[in-house]
Amino acid sequence: MTITEKLSSGITIVELCGTIDASTAPELQRHQAISDPTRTIVIDLARLDFLDSSGLGAIIGAAHRKEESGANMLLSCMNQKVRRVFDITGTVRLFHIFDETAAAIDYATTLRKSQ
Amino acid sequence: MKTLIAIKEADCNWMRETLPGTQPLLAPLCNKPFVEYLIDFAILAGCREIRLLSDGPLSQIEEYCGNGSRWGIELTYANLHPSDGEPELLRKNRKFCGEERTMILSGCTFIDYDKTLDYRGLASIDSGGTIASCPGGSITLAGPLEPSLTDQPLPPVGLTPIGDLKSYCRIAMTTLETGSSRYVLPGYGGEPGCAIGRNVTISKTAQIHKPASIGNNVRILPGAVIGPSAIIGSNVIIDKGSTIKESIILDNTYIGEQLEIEGRIASKNTLIDPESGVTLAMQDPHLLAGINGGATALVLWRKIVHALAAALLLLLLSIPFAILYPLLRLRGKWQDVPSIPNAGLAESIASAFSLDRYPLLPGVLTGRLAIIGSRTHENRAANHTGTDCRPAVFSYAETEAWAATESDAAIVERYHALHSTPLGDIGMTIQALINRIHYRNPT
Repeated sequence: MTITEKLSSGITIVELCGTIDASTAPELQRHQAISDPTRTIVIDLARLDFLDSSGLGAIIGAAHRKEESGANMLLSCMNQKVRRVFDITGTVRLFHIFDETAAAIDYATTLRKSQ
Repeated sequence: MKTLIAIKEADCNWMRETLPGTQPLLAPLCNKPFVEYLIDFAILAGCREIRLLSDGPLSQIEEYCGNGSRWGIELTYANLHPSDGEPELLRKNRKFCGEERTMILSGCTFIDYDKTLDYRGLASIDSGGTIASCPGGSITLAGPLEPSLTDQPLPPVGLTPIGDLKSYCRIAMTTLETGSSRYVLPGYGGEPGCAIGRNVTISKTAQIHKPASIGNNVRILPGAVIGPSAIIGSNVIIDKGSTIKESIILDNTYIGEQLEIEGRIASKNTLIDPESGVTLAMQDPHLLAGINGGATALVLWRKIVHALAAALLLLLLSIPFAILYPLLRLRGKWQDVPSIPNAGLAESIASAFSLDRYPLLPGVLTGRLAIIGSRTHENRAANHTGTDCRPAVFSYAETEAWAATESDAAIVERYHALHSTPLGDIGMTIQALINRIHYRNPT
C-alpha cells in the first residue's frame, strides 16, 4: 500500500494506492493526516485495488474520531470493487462520497467555512 | 441529457415488512420492478446515461440491471448520504453530470407517463428546477438547456407517492388496468388486459378474467379462478379451486386449495390487507406458504463443515462444561448470555473455553445456527433481517479487534457473510475463540 499526501485549497488529500488488509491497515491508522482527529481530509480511492474488513475498520475508526472532534473525512473516486465493500457492509451511509476529488475539496472547504 | 435516480431507505421503510430483503427499487409493480418504470421514463426523456443512487445496498439492483445494455443505455451506480438534497447529489456526481442537462428523479414515487408520448422536450424546457413534485419525491432539472429534439409540446408528467402499502397496491392495480397501452409490461398476451410470463402452466378448467398479469414459472391448477384484477408474481402455485380477485400474489408463494383471496396481498405465508395494513401469518403450509429454492451445494457444504466443527467443539468442551456448569450454576455465577463474569478461577476457565456458548452448539448440528456468523444472543434484531445474515454461535465481529460498537460488529458480520468460505469459517471460529481469551484475560 502506498499513501500519498497532497494539499489543495487548504484541504489534505490522501491518495491510497494498492491493497489495504490486515497487514497494511495499522500503517493506515498511524498515518498522520488520517490519525489527526482535528484535520478534515479527502481520501482519494481511485487507485485502491483491494480493501478488506480491517482496512474498512481503519477508515471507519478514523472517520469516527474526526467526526467527534468536528472534522470530516470525505471519500472520492471510489472504484467499483471498493464501492462494493462499502455497499455490502452498509457503511456508505457513514460517508460523503464524491465521484471527483475536486468536488470533494469544494465541499470540504464549504464545510470548513460554515464551522 | 443524463439522469440521476435517487432513492433513500427512509422513503421506503414501509417495504421492509412486506418485501423483506428486497431493494426498494426492485419492488414489483405489476410484475415489473419499480426501477424499470423510472428507467423507461428516463429513456423516453432522451437520456442515455443513468446513474442509480441509494443510501442502502445496491448489489441486488446491480445484479438485476447490470450495465444497462438491455435498455441500450449506460447504467452506473453510486451511493448517497441520507442527508443529501438535490444540490449535494449534483455536487457528488459532478464528474457524471459534466456540463450536460441532468434530470433528477428522487424519492419513492411513481411517474404517470405514457410510452406513446415524447418527453424529449424536458432537455430544453426552462422550468427553473422542479417540474413535478409530490410528498416524498420530485422530478428536477439542472444544468444548461439543450437544443430541442422535438416539435411536440411537453406532455404532462404526474407523480404519485408510494408511501405505504395502500398506495403501492393502488398503483399496481391502476398499472394493471391501464395495461400495456401506457407502460411496457412484462409477459405475453394475445389480447389486451392479460399478460402471461414464461413457463406458465394453466389447467384447462382454470379461468382467467381480465385484467390479469401472471409472472414466470407459475402453475394454476384445475378449477382456479384468476381475476379480475389479479397480479400473480413469479414462482407461484395456485392450487385447485382457489380464487384470486383484486389481489397481488408476490413471488415464491403457494396458495392452497379452495381459498378465496380478495383485496389482499399474499407474500409467502403472509396475507396482508393493504387498506388496514393488518397482516396474518399462516402457520398451515397447506393454506399459504413460501416456495423456497433448494439449498445450493455451497450452503449444504457450509452446513456440513459447521456441523463437524460444532461436533468437535461439543466433544472437546464436554468435560470442562460438565465440571464447571454445575459448579457455577450452584454458586449462581452462571449466566447463559451474554458471558460468564470474570470473577474467580472457575469463571475465568469457563470464560476462556467460551463455555457460555456451549449450550448453543447443538443448534449448529440441527442446522438452526451456524458456527460463526451473526450474533444471536444480543439484541440486534435489525441486523438479522438481511439475507446475508446467519444467526450463529460465534460472531465474525469477534475475530477482529476494531469492532468495538454494535454498528462496527454489524459491518464486520456483513463483510464476512459475503466473503467467507466454509473452511475459512473454521479458521475464523478458532480466531474468535483465541480473541475471546485474549480480550477477557489480557495478562
